[in-house]
Amino acid sequence: MATLTTDRKSALRRELEAIVGRGGVLSEPDELLVYESDGLTLFRALADFVVFPTTAEHVAALVRVADREAMPFVARGAGTGLSGGCLPSEGGLVISMMRMNRVLEVDYENQIAVVEPGLVNLHLSWAVGPQGFYYAPDPSSQQACTIGGNIANNSGGPHTLKYGVTVNHVLGLEVVTPEGEIVWLGGKTRGALGYDLAGVFVGSEGTFGIATKIVVRILRKPQAVKTVLAVFDQIDQASSAVSAIIARGLVPAAVEMIDQLTIQAVEDAFGCGYPRDAAAALLIEVDGLRAGIETQAARIVEACRESGAREVRTAADEAERLLLWKGRKSAFGAYGRVSPAYMVMDGVIPRTKLPYVLGRVNEIVAAHGLRVGNVFHAGDGNLHPNILYDPRKPGEEARVVAAGAEIMKVCAEVGGSISGEHGIGLEKSDFMPFIFTAADLAFMQRLKSAFNPTGLCNPGKVFPTRKSCGEAGPVAYRPHPIEERGLAQRF
Amino acid sequence: MGGTPGVDALLDRLRATLGATNVLTGADRSPYVVEGRTPDVVVFPGSVDEVGAVVQQAAAAAVPVLPWGGGTAAAVGPPPARGGLVLALKRLDRLVEHEPGDLTVTVEAGRTLETLQSALRARGQWLSLDPPDAERATVGGLIAADASGPRRHLYGTVRDLLIGVTVVTADGSVVHGGGKVVKNVAGYDLPKLFVGSYGTLGIVVSATFKLRPVPEEERLVALTFDRLKDCGAAARAVLASDLIPTALEILDAAAGGPLGLSGVTLVVGFDGLREQVDAQAETLAGMAASLGGRQPTTLPAAAWTPLAAPARDAFASPAAVMSVSVLPSSVAELMEQGTEAARRRGLASAWAAHAGVGAVTGVLAAEREATTVAAVLTEWRALARAAGGHATLLWAPLAVKSEVPVWDDAGPAGRIMQRIKAQLDPNNVLNPGRFVAGI
Repeated sequence: MATLTTDRKSALRRELEAIVGRGGVLSEPDELLVYESDGLTLFRALADFVVFPTTAEHVAALVRVADREAMPFVARGAGTGLSGGCLPSEGGLVISMMRMNRVLEVDYENQIAVVEPGLVNLHLSWAVGPQGFYYAPDPSSQQACTIGGNIANNSGGPHTLKYGVTVNHVLGLEVVTPEGEIVWLGGKTRGALGYDLAGVFVGSEGTFGIATKIVVRILRKPQAVKTVLAVFDQIDQASSAVSAIIARGLVPAAVEMIDQLTIQAVEDAFGCGYPRDAAAALLIEVDGLRAGIETQAARIVEACRESGAREVRTAADEAERLLLWKGRKSAFGAYGRVSPAYMVMDGVIPRTKLPYVLGRVNEIVAAHGLRVGNVFHAGDGNLHPNILYDPRKPGEEARVVAAGAEIMKVCAEVGGSISGEHGIGLEKSDFMPFIFTAADLAFMQRLKSAFNPTGLCNPGKVFPTRKSCGEAGPVAYRPHPIEERGLAQRF
Repeated sequence: MGGTPGVDALLDRLRATLGATNVLTGADRSPYVVEGRTPDVVVFPGSVDEVGAVVQQAAAAAVPVLPWGGGTAAAVGPPPARGGLVLALKRLDRLVEHEPGDLTVTVEAGRTLETLQSALRARGQWLSLDPPDAERATVGGLIAADASGPRRHLYGTVRDLLIGVTVVTADGSVVHGGGKVVKNVAGYDLPKLFVGSYGTLGIVVSATFKLRPVPEEERLVALTFDRLKDCGAAARAVLASDLIPTALEILDAAAGGPLGLSGVTLVVGFDGLREQVDAQAETLAGMAASLGGRQPTTLPAAAWTPLAAPARDAFASPAAVMSVSVLPSSVAELMEQGTEAARRRGLASAWAAHAGVGAVTGVLAAEREATTVAAVLTEWRALARAAGGHATLLWAPLAVKSEVPVWDDAGPAGRIMQRIKAQLDPNNVLNPGRFVAGI
């Protein structure tokens, strides 16, 4: 789409403005720059237009224009994604959902809410909180990321160990199909009529259409919560404590692991009360009924002690609990204390392979002359090695990318996956053959064709490129404009 | 050979591939008769490769393939238009991998749920699905039919637990989706595609599930009411409370009779640590008086089984079974209206619901002429739709099915389903004509 003539571009701009209003279209290069990447700044691509619809009918009309013009289009939420999934990789139209951010309906009796895709994840919990409810999926970016973006990536978070990921909380979706039709997939009731189209749509990374209304479950807040911090002198002890907890028949709400480098960064930045000399800490939470909560916490303490924890303590009050969680949730920001830049990896392994894989991760990163901090969802085996580097040093970024690929290979070799919650996007499309055969990918392509026959809806994502990696390799890092202005950090 | 063209040549190829003992063409096909239609042939492949070969051979001969697990849901859907080939998966019954520390299991599709659960329970874990007929229902069948039971209230349905599938597709190739880790967003979520697809998109040959630890204690508590209305209000009060039940069932008098219950009953399931179960049962007892129910009684563990097959034993020979999805708040009212609609036409009915998730089952008694039965079912469906839900005619004689569609109209989404079917099974080989939107 880079070949649009100035006249053609002006005409298209007028047509888009006729749909969404004059304040709803960006087409100047400096305005478009803000939308050239998501949270993964390794990849950048410029759109021809960024448009801001406020209704499903707007979205449908925009998609029909794009379809007529054979112009690629992609929906975008808050841009917190970490795999380049919402980039206009082939130019065209970015459809920002940020002005469709309302809670349309809350039905407390049936424990569902109908929301627009641009609603910020945490804002839903705020909206229903006064009635004693919350929205369970809690990605670390929940203060900024949108529910629509969560739909695209089937986002998780620390508490998905017990409560499941986004798809487990979505009952139905109103979507604009890639041909511009408004269709409901699923609805407010359980039990799909026919194929579970809502279930398949969630996690399709914006390649099946654009969600315009979302029916989600809201949960009652638990009566009681207990948070345990267990401190270990060896990282293997922390890994085996995870297995020991599971072996006792406990299903905690969350089991998060934080390694030494990360603990030190967090303590430097925020002083959350983690011991700086520990090799690793586990943050474990149980919630639910008041009855039995002490027993569960006691069993967790016991499992950690038996695995060699040097210190185990239970948060005495809500203030201490929040401080411990602040350390976990702010870890990504804290890396700024110890490194000019870092790249977040996202892989999944069977829980029992934790000790082996963490060892391999450290070896791989060290072999590339780099450092790594680990802060991740240990309970469900979802690793987040964060490789620290200095983008100003020539060649360092390429070594990060190479180390990342090796880590993904290890995840695949032990029977795991190359993404637990960040998606494939642009970043990992060429890693797909690590875990899927040509037949698997061909089948998925056919499924995509059923939803997106022209391929104009978010092209270039999920599937491996036919180009060699060298040709399409990432460009050197430079800070995102909003990062430079101090409006955002990468996490 | 039942008049399906191309069958004779196909039989020779099948015998060569599977051995003659795994190819049935005689009277021994009788367990595989669906709605009076005898399949042309029933085959028992012994490996994934053999499943692929059978599908290829059948497709080449233009003979439809009907995947078959335990046969517990074989009668769901319009009858097959042709005899076709029944592909029975019972020889694929291995437990491939169970790693307790990972809380996951990989199992072949032909294994029965009961034998899977007994292997898992021996190691302190279980697959948190409790559909009816566990001794016959197979892993593949419960995926294809999206089978569930009362504990879905807390633990969800197949879509919440299935994390990976291996499937033989319509062209006989083998495709994997998902994986064996509990959290995974790489590629499209193919497991979701196969849940409830009734064998129309591919034949699941093995599956990986998330597991749960077996709870220390489990209990069923029954509260009896005079009126459905009060029972519905009680169910809503439980939903709005701090209780975390595993099951929340409403049974009318006809459905509760076979369980020894009289009146309208709310059955609440609890599990967890003993102190958690005790505390919840006590809280429920405290609520009972204000809810207008009689004092709660504890039901024996054996009561879980009939709860999984709602209202099935209410009548010796039911005329039809319809399942309805509505909002939880509409459950009791729908049961009342459905009962009344049947009564107006002189028919008795029995109703039971997984009330907290809005899954209601209505059973019609005393077979009359098909038109009367059809009229009641049509009214039930209208009630479901008026309540914002939908209805499926799970079972009825052919004469009734010819008047009342099995599936509701899927609307514009039906066109997407048809396109998916056309993409993944372009020659319409897999279980044709038995699903939603004419698929």
